[in-house]
Amino acid sequence: MEAPPVTVMPVTGGTINMMEYLLQGSVLDQALDSLLHRLRGLCDNMEPESFADHELVYLLKGQQGNPFMLRARRSLAHPTAPWHLRYLGQPEVGDKSRHALVRNCVDVAASHSLPDFLNEMGFRMDHEFVAKGHVFRKGALKVVVSKVSRVLVPGNTDNIEPLSLSYLVELSVLAPAGQDTVSEDMRSFAEQLKPLVHLEKIDPKRV
Amino acid sequence: MQQREEKQLEASVESLISRVAHLKNSLHGFIYKLENEYDRLTWPSVLDNFALLSGQLNTINKLLKNEKTPSFRNQIIIPLLLSPERDEELARLTEQRVPVFSHEIVPDHLRTKPDPEVEEQEKQLSAEAARIGPEVAQKQIQTLNKLCSNLLEKLNNPRDDRESESAAIRQNKPSFNPADTNALVGAVGYGKGLSKCRPPGSVAPGHPGQPMMTGGPTLQQVTIGGAQGHQAGMAPVAQQQAGQPGKMPSNIKTNIKSASASMHPYNR
Repeated sequence: MEAPPVTVMPVTGGTINMMEYLLQGSVLDQALDSLLHRLRGLCDNMEPESFADHELVYLLKGQQGNPFMLRARRSLAHPTAPWHLRYLGQPEVGDKSRHALVRNCVDVAASHSLPDFLNEMGFRMDHEFVAKGHVFRKGALKVVVSKVSRVLVPGNTDNIEPLSLSYLVELSVLAPAGQDTVSEDMRSFAEQLKPLVHLEKIDPKRV
Repeated sequence: MQQREEKQLEASVESLISRVAHLKNSLHGFIYKLENEYDRLTWPSVLDNFALLSGQLNTINKLLKNEKTPSFRNQIIIPLLLSPERDEELARLTEQRVPVFSHEIVPDHLRTKPDPEVEEQEKQLSAEAARIGPEVAQKQIQTLNKLCSNLLEKLNNPRDDRESESAAIRQNKPSFNPADTNALVGAVGYGKGLSKCRPPGSVAPGHPGQPMMTGGPTLQQVTIGGAQGHQAGMAPVAQQQAGQPGKMPSNIKTNIKSASASMHPYNR
């Protein structure tokens, strides 16, 4: 799974202000082994963790304004595991003093009837993809190295095609709002992955 | 003939003695350095000393193997006189190491065979070697050779691999592609490049003039209607989202409630 259900605390009053600090980059397939090797050295000593996830992105559109987006994820490797529903807010690029992209983030675990439930609510699936890769941790830092594939036949996760010849690399930390110091740690960690991978804050609007 | 051989022997003994003296001097110097200058001694100079010693040992070996050198092995030394008294001349010659030529030390100094214990061990080993057949021995030799060559290969190859790998990295072979980064980030963030898969027949909500309740309330139409019925409420919410992402969850909640209240087919 991209992230374990982080919100262990009960949702009280609807204002859990967890922010996700994010740096993104990519690595070519042929350099993947070097990167994994380096991550194994840099990160907490743990069993290498692999995952294969199917992510469905749902939109709820109004007449004007931005559509509202929710992401539902399920593990292909562990079909019985709960689904993972995630809301991501608008990313804030911020100024130079902050080294990472920041966006609001709500994670919840959900039952397997999540797609039906979202459909009932008026959400429509906009797109889907399959991400397969590895997760590393170093304290609060989380590094996800994954191959993103498009799903050729809707809903059939066996029939997929890699999106590019690279692996997506994401370095993220979940922290309460305003803790910009974590971005400092992220920057120093990202420094150590150079020149294999350049992790940057990428404004998705400009992509 | 006899005389010539004798002369040759004498000459070679003399040259051997001088070489050994050289070796002894170098050893002296080295031991002195080790004992007195160990705090200033650098590793390279230790290596130099070792190189000198090994060079001198090599020359002695060469000298012994030289054709012109008569075989010392064939020479016999017979103790003619043993005396328990101190011999000053002998002491001087041996640098005070051997002051007396007595029955006590002669068997040690003139020994031409190994110690009895060593001889015993050697006998055991050769017995064992004789016990295994030549085929088995050959096999063992081959196994050992194989092990050694494998080990050598293992020691040599990874170094090559590592070197070539780091060389490749040093050559600035790109390990990432910014275009791929953008494509991946766009795909994961906004589904860019991923096939949009709306179920056929579903119309993007928000198009005015859609026939809403024709032919009975199917679930799909009802949902669209529900969504549309709430557009008024939705729009500000969506705008608000951009500025205050933190407030979003509570807004979703209210939307869910009101939407389900108005759109649920069984409530009608």
